[in-house]
Amino acid sequence: MRRAWVVCRHALGQLLSGRRLLVIVLLTAIPLLLPAMLFAARGEGDAADFSLGLFRNLVLPVLLPVVSLAFATHALGAEVRDGTATNLLLKPIPRAAILAAEYLAAVLAALVVLLPLVAASQVIAGSAGSSSSLLVGSLAATTVGALVYGALGLLLSLFIGRALLVGLVYTVLWEGALVSVAPSASSLAVRGYAEGVLAAVTAQDGPAVSARLGPVSAIVMAAVVTLLALVFATRRLSRMDIR
Amino acid sequence: MNQTASSPVVELRHVSKWYGDVVAVADLSFELYPGITGLLGPNGAGKTTTLKAITGLLQPSQGEVLLFGRPLIGDPMLYRAIGVVPDGDRLYPRLTVRSYARLHAELQGLEHPAAAADEAIARVGMEALASRRLSGLSKGERQRTKVAGAIVHQPSLLILDEPMTGMDPGQRARFIELVRALGQAGVTVLVSSHILGEVERLATQILVLVGGRLAASGDFHAIRDLMADQPRTVVVEASGARQLAAGLITMPTTVAVEVDGDRMQARTRSVEAFATELPRLAQEQGVSLREVRTTDESLEQVFRYLVGRR
Repeated sequence: MRRAWVVCRHALGQLLSGRRLLVIVLLTAIPLLLPAMLFAARGEGDAADFSLGLFRNLVLPVLLPVVSLAFATHALGAEVRDGTATNLLLKPIPRAAILAAEYLAAVLAALVVLLPLVAASQVIAGSAGSSSSLLVGSLAATTVGALVYGALGLLLSLFIGRALLVGLVYTVLWEGALVSVAPSASSLAVRGYAEGVLAAVTAQDGPAVSARLGPVSAIVMAAVVTLLALVFATRRLSRMDIR
Repeated sequence: MNQTASSPVVELRHVSKWYGDVVAVADLSFELYPGITGLLGPNGAGKTTTLKAITGLLQPSQGEVLLFGRPLIGDPMLYRAIGVVPDGDRLYPRLTVRSYARLHAELQGLEHPAAAADEAIARVGMEALASRRLSGLSKGERQRTKVAGAIVHQPSLLILDEPMTGMDPGQRARFIELVRALGQAGVTVLVSSHILGEVERLATQILVLVGGRLAASGDFHAIRDLMADQPRTVVVEASGARQLAAGLITMPTTVAVEVDGDRMQARTRSVEAFATELPRLAQEQGVSLREVRTTDESLEQVFRYLVGRR
């Protein structure tokens, strides 16, 4: 357990250092905070509606998958390909524990970037004071999305070299195009799970959020997809040759 | 590790590894015991594949690898007793030498990782560079850092894949001293290199891989005996090399003689007969000998012979 924590701490340090982090933070902060500041400066319109629109149209379809997949595909798959993973794999740590630690690090890295910026955008826009359930719902939905995208990104990275690109193509084609014409496909879309969580949390006193999946379905499906991805990733890591 | 003195530390039983139609290693069987063993072979001979099969990074397509009498696959706790310096530059460039060694100590679960890291850094002579980032080190310094990471937990089996790549002569000498000390302390060391002179200075036991197969194994001198009937090369530097060559070529044991100025290179089936005849001829012809040496005691010659013999 202590060794797995060392792996997680090391992976988190690697992910949250260097220019990669700076680029991800800037690419997330600018489109999220700039509109919130402009909205606040204008002083017109409903803050909750604005924040909900920003979250549903920018965070869920773009920033959440990009940031989560960027960290997850870089966590272990890149290390396996450049050979640095041997530093971890040649140690008295089960490969399942190494994978779990890398997964945790990738999710934490994504949340360290996303949660403060999502919260900051809603605070700046002024919706955090009027609707705390929107803020809580947004943070919960972001967390669920990061957990699922993280597992899928890790799995993809152990099979293919261009895992980030493939992950982004999935989000655009499946979660964007296909779900809009065939709503039933949202049961296999991470965005659908996040929207289900957001709708459930905001149901009491927040703005009305329509979601194709109910809260139970969303959470169960998110858990099943995450677990399956991690099980397959563990099997892959346990059997793969490190060349 | 629980082991009897006579049981092998590493045992390969008919190990083969192939990728599609390409066979990387075929039917390798050998055992390793405490002490230093050299793994020799040209590029593409299967050295790295063999080392990766031993360390669990590759799963054999066929056969079995046992470490301390147990299969490594599925038993990661065996890595407590194993240190590995893999091939290539597999380092985290932003870490310092000290943080890299400490990371290895922590991943091994050592009680005092900082002290263990400092000790390992001192053993490879990197104390002065301990605070430097790995990205700012020379290749030889990075290799020594990798060695520090591999020995930080004092393993009883040490696998070194081309460990002296990039080291300068001083670093090599110190590294050889370190590995010899480990071997004398009872550590089982397997070291691969394509620079044959390095292995000759390190190991008395050698394994020779050629084309993915074990071409020879055992004591260096025993393998040298395989060449007993092979011509050996003697280099002579003398003032009248051409005169000497004319005399030596008439000997029935002389295979060939080449002369280049004052330097003569002779191939003979009997070094003893050559050594008797050469000074007699030199005295007779009034030629002064400046240097006489055989060149084929080196592993290079053994290796070439074994490759050619296949």
